[in-house]
Amino acid sequence: MNATRIAAWLTVPARWYLGLLFVAACLHKIADPHSFAIDISTYDILPLSLVNLAAITLPWIELAAGAMLLVGWRVRTSSVLIAGMMAVFLAALMVALARGLDMSCGCFASQGADEDPISRLTILRDLWWLGLALFVLVFDRGLVGIDHLLDRRPE
Amino acid sequence: MKWCSLLAEAAVVAATAAAAALVFNTVRPNGGLPLIARTPYQVLVPCPEPGGAVQPIPADDPALSYDRTFLIDARPAEEFNRQHLPGAVHLPYDWLDPVPDGDLQQLVEAIAASGATRVAVYGDGGRPDNGEHLGREISGRGIKNVFFVSGGAPELFGVATP
Repeated sequence: MNATRIAAWLTVPARWYLGLLFVAACLHKIADPHSFAIDISTYDILPLSLVNLAAITLPWIELAAGAMLLVGWRVRTSSVLIAGMMAVFLAALMVALARGLDMSCGCFASQGADEDPISRLTILRDLWWLGLALFVLVFDRGLVGIDHLLDRRPE
Repeated sequence: MKWCSLLAEAAVVAATAAAAALVFNTVRPNGGLPLIARTPYQVLVPCPEPGGAVQPIPADDPALSYDRTFLIDARPAEEFNRQHLPGAVHLPYDWLDPVPDGDLQQLVEAIAASGATRVAVYGDGGRPDNGEHLGREISGRGIKNVFFVSGGAPELFGVATP
């Protein structure tokens, strides 16, 4: 078994992990978009007119991408979505840290800054998830899941 | 799959999910979140505290008269002119008018070039004490061993600051 093949198999647990992560992260945001809107607003990056729209739609994109990774359907497409979202989240985090904002990241259940403050560790954590998404994007060969059942292998 | 079609497919998935989100938001029992917020959200983000750590030092501490102590007076010019410790550098710290970045940087460079082993800042001794806060700003710029005189000028000179 060569290195590419091993990497292809490693993408399976990686995408399950990412899929679970994103599905878990979106549930409270879908259930309580108002709290998520406050979290987005705290970053003070988006104009007010876009805050609610982002709070309503973003969790559903997370849900779609996470679920697609979990069931192995169009894995590379969902990896692109997750990598894109992680890049956006990372940029927002860096801006907030650069501004010295003492706040929660709002990534999971809304928490106060005392419980889950943003820090350089949050950046490292998000970089790790971004790396995993890119790993899946590059090495996925449709080994397990719906893509496999449909014999839909990435080129 | 080519990158263009991959990105196009991702855009379609995102658009579909966003459309589903909007429909779901519309049929929520309470009418859902308005698409456009009319009033800003009340976000409680504490103002970033300036700088780093400073330690209190009593007004009668002999270190205040050591050669290698860099003294800074944070009070307004009028009070500084009336009385100050010999050798003290004046940089007023006003709560309503932050110290210009250039002035602070110049002071930090002067401290670094002075060869001082400690910095002692004194202010009005109030609560909050402007000397302590100027000290924090200096410490936050990488200067170590920054102290503030506990009680400020009133403790040093025995007179109350107006």
